[in-house]
Amino acid sequence: MLTVTELMVFYENALAVNELSLKVETGQVVGVIGSNSAGKTTLMNTLSGLILDQQIKEKRKGGERITIMGKVEFEGRDISLMPAYERVRLGLVLCRERHPVFPDSTVLENLLIAGHLGSKEQVKRATDLTFDLFPNLVRWRRRKAGFLSGGEQQMLAIGMALVVGPRLLLLDEPLLGLSPAMQQVVVGAIKNVRRQTGATIVIAEQFARPVLPMIDHGYVIENGMLTMTGTGAQLMDNPEIKSAYFGV
Amino acid sequence: MLTGYLIYGLINSVVLVLVALGFNLTFGISGVANFAFGALYVTAGFLAWIGLNTLSLPYWVSAPLAVLITAVLAGLLYRVVVLRVRGLVVSEVIATFGVGLALLELFRFLGFIGFEYTLPDAGDFGVSVLGVVIDSQRLLIVAMGAALTAFLWLFTRYTTTGRAFRAIAQDEHTALTLGINTERTATIAVAFGAGYAAVAALVILPLGTIAVNEGYNVLVNALAVCIVGGLGSTLGVIVASFLIGMAQTLTAAYLGTHWMMIVSLVAILLILLVRPSGLFGSHKQLEERI
Repeated sequence: MLTVTELMVFYENALAVNELSLKVETGQVVGVIGSNSAGKTTLMNTLSGLILDQQIKEKRKGGERITIMGKVEFEGRDISLMPAYERVRLGLVLCRERHPVFPDSTVLENLLIAGHLGSKEQVKRATDLTFDLFPNLVRWRRRKAGFLSGGEQQMLAIGMALVVGPRLLLLDEPLLGLSPAMQQVVVGAIKNVRRQTGATIVIAEQFARPVLPMIDHGYVIENGMLTMTGTGAQLMDNPEIKSAYFGV
Repeated sequence: MLTGYLIYGLINSVVLVLVALGFNLTFGISGVANFAFGALYVTAGFLAWIGLNTLSLPYWVSAPLAVLITAVLAGLLYRVVVLRVRGLVVSEVIATFGVGLALLELFRFLGFIGFEYTLPDAGDFGVSVLGVVIDSQRLLIVAMGAALTAFLWLFTRYTTTGRAFRAIAQDEHTALTLGINTERTATIAVAFGAGYAAVAALVILPLGTIAVNEGYNVLVNALAVCIVGGLGSTLGVIVASFLIGMAQTLTAAYLGTHWMMIVSLVAILLILLVRPSGLFGSHKQLEERI
């Protein structure tokens, strides 16, 4: 479904992603595991096309020069130069890190904004699905999203991505800043998303422990480079992973 | 006497509402700076005048045409000028203000000065309210003010485009990841705001003459209302318009008309000292929580 070939991303002369190649098959849940500054977010932004917007903005203000090389293909089509909002129309939807919601709009409005591409019935169905997955959100539907807790904002952010109607859902650090209990809730919801929508999912995460059991395939990256790859079970048994991510 | 001042103060407040709505739509709700706002307001007036007098078009052709051309002009302003500095708010402000300045002074240069530049008003009847006669044009202003406010409020809540305006102002990257074409949405927001300015011009300008200086006054008034009310809040626009509008009228009545323009500026200063996010602006408190 998604093929990345020899992707390289530079911020000025700093290499953020280094000759990274990966493949996501339809229906899979794929994990991208790495510590802070490993290049996870850069990778996700490149897949979603957001980096093209950042590139233009930086250029306008004479800031950092962002250079992107390599190829991103979605269902056999080269989308390397396609703007972010067009990729969304193909079904490639990113949920950014740090619970990206519209703080001044209510929970319901957030979901409606996310549903701007779909028909009324589609949006209604997706909104209902979101409230099914995250019953916590139901009682806050008329509350401004900025006043929700971090975990609730993350749930809302995932809900918004669902309302868009993803075929490939990219989740950038969905567990960041959440308590272990809340992490379990979000992990459970992600599993449900897969079951109920059949979407293919890519999760970028530094918390390997809750993520590895649910993925079909994992890529471990460090300093922008692929250091290890394998199924979730293989990675969990790997001694290096154990020492680096589980502290064992 | 006082009743008269109060009633005319209320009408002046509605004038401010009309003027500030478009500015608030573009800068407050959508987060796109358009400081050529006053220039576009005056442009709409002159365009309507040219349509009526130079091209001898009937009013019902000339007026909508003026609104449409002003909106398209604003859209072009965005595409050609603002897009190059989009995301750098200070540059957006300076660039649009510069274009506005050029546009206004162009009218002055072309000789659009004088008392013959007037637009037709709504007719010669009046209604007496509490012994004060209100003419038809001012009644039209009040009606349009109510209609445009209601329309804007409904538009930003119940239409896809209106919600997208609010989305791009809050977080452009999140809007992009939801598939919103942010630059197209911003262009529409600028054009829409300019359309509002043009409608305001067509109902307000018949009270006086179309003058280049109106462009500067309108911008200052719109800015004052939006800052006092809190950027982006429609309720804030209404409340602030009534505060400033009444203050202006009473100042003009008791201190003299030459003090009137100071009211807006003093209002800006005071609110920035006391409550910088405006009476109904919630951006600040929310930002601290995230």
